Amino acid sequence: MKIELEKISEHVGDTGDFIKLNVDKCVGCGNCALVCVMNLWLMRGGKAQLKDDYTQKCLECAACYSVCDVGAIDFSYPAGGTGVVFLKG
Amino acid sequence: MIVVGAGPGGSVAAKVAAESGLKTVFFERGRKPGEKNSSGCGLGPRMWREFPEMMKKLTPEVAPSLRKAACVVNHYLNKDMEEIAIEMYYPTESVTYEPAKSFITMNCYRSEFDPWIAGIAVEAGAELRTSVLIKDLVKDDKGKVIGVQTEKGEKVYGKVIIGADGVISTVAIKSGLNPRWRPDQITLVPQYDFSADRKKIDQMYGPDGLLADAADGIWYGTNFPAAYQVIFGDGFHIGLGSWMGQWTANPISFLNKLVSCKPFQRMIKAIDAKPREVQTHLLPWTQEPVRTYTDNVMLIGDAGGFPCPLEAEGVFPAMETGKLAAETAIKCIADGDTSKQALKLYEEKWKKASVGIEFQAGESMQTLWRHLMFSTQSEENSMEWFIPLWHELRGGFYDWSEPHIVRLRQIIKKAQEYLPQAMTFFSKYMMPVLTDAMGDQISLMPQLMKLMEGMRPRPKKK
Repeated sequence: MKIELEKISEHVGDTGDFIKLNVDKCVGCGNCALVCVMNLWLMRGGKAQLKDDYTQKCLECAACYSVCDVGAIDFSYPAGGTGVVFLKG
Repeated sequence: MIVVGAGPGGSVAAKVAAESGLKTVFFERGRKPGEKNSSGCGLGPRMWREFPEMMKKLTPEVAPSLRKAACVVNHYLNKDMEEIAIEMYYPTESVTYEPAKSFITMNCYRSEFDPWIAGIAVEAGAELRTSVLIKDLVKDDKGKVIGVQTEKGEKVYGKVIIGADGVISTVAIKSGLNPRWRPDQITLVPQYDFSADRKKIDQMYGPDGLLADAADGIWYGTNFPAAYQVIFGDGFHIGLGSWMGQWTANPISFLNKLVSCKPFQRMIKAIDAKPREVQTHLLPWTQEPVRTYTDNVMLIGDAGGFPCPLEAEGVFPAMETGKLAAETAIKCIADGDTSKQALKLYEEKWKKASVGIEFQAGESMQTLWRHLMFSTQSEENSMEWFIPLWHELRGGFYDWSEPHIVRLRQIIKKAQEYLPQAMTFFSKYMMPVLTDAMGDQISLMPQLMKLMEGMRPRPKKK
């Protein structure tokens, strides 16, 4: 069964940046890419890279931040009243 | 009093505090409570026992998605994702109170439950501020927390600050109570919501349906972590989870494997179900809560690591700890002392309460579950022997392929193949739970031994 995740999630407002990668700290382990349900992390040249449009797709679970053993990912939630909305959560 | 977070825990804390006359404000980062939350979401009967006045007001009028799950249906899939057994369990005779005798859970979407319960806190006099993200804590020159700071830099001061802000809790991080979770303390839970035809759900899972009021389900398999199915008025959740360090592939790939398998497809066809929403959240699933109090600060619910160590029920523990934290705040503010020493009262209270009793066996229970249905991605995949053994023992005898005595020999022979793993599992993971439950002299055991002594084999007929 093919489920297109982007079609079944809703996002509102201008979130601002809420995930930041410290490239110097990143060791390229790929943990963030492995656990991101929405596939928002790519591995490029031995480093993680966050997709440009992540603010409109992220489900705000903070898995990437939680699996980053070297603390290279800074996660804070989007601005109040913006970001993912769960209508049937 | 300041409460960060307007989920079920934060709202109960705000209600209790406001009712006592404390000036109370609670903050929600969503536009309304519940729009940032996803969970199973089955509500446990302890909520009705501990909060009877409040819970009797939760009706289909305020929560149209409400559906009773009078029983649980277990589905067992083999390694080829074929369904080999289904079981259905209603509450057993040893359950002591209503409504626990009548249902396992009451199911209701968080988008309906959270605004409802926050409304009760507002009615009690608490101020709810929505669309506000708390980004930092305000501290005095000694480093003690005296308030919170919004993303826009506004500072709000309070005598007591309650962290009800979920798994990644600003209050827990910035107060130093829990700067970071270990990977073995939190799980990642991807979940789909499916829409479904209300009438067809009723025909299958409704009160007069084929599986009467069977609105909770668990799907067990050998190659995905056990998945829960929670059925609502016009849809259902299907989700699964595992600890952070345990994923060998993208978490959603395991869920996709399940929803694509034939038995699942058959079920969604029968109730005309379609994927409606994808959600993912982190869930603390830990052997013991984190440090839950310091000067002027207490943590409740997920922020404190309170979900049940066995099944990760989260809403009731959040509400119970919310109530206890608010009661502690009321007393300590009245006494004029909200120091760490004074707030220790909160820990004393939750340790004695239902949620604390649950954690008396937190280590053994969490370990047991981890090594059973959540071990599917590890070397010691227990489901590889558990499912066929269970299938053999429960279903093997009702079979007309051979004379039954031959079948019995075949079953025993097959079961013996799995016994070494099963016995090791029993002594390693089951015994600690039994010991926690029964104390040193597992009092049931001598009775069992006595019974077995009486079971001498009969002399064989010539």
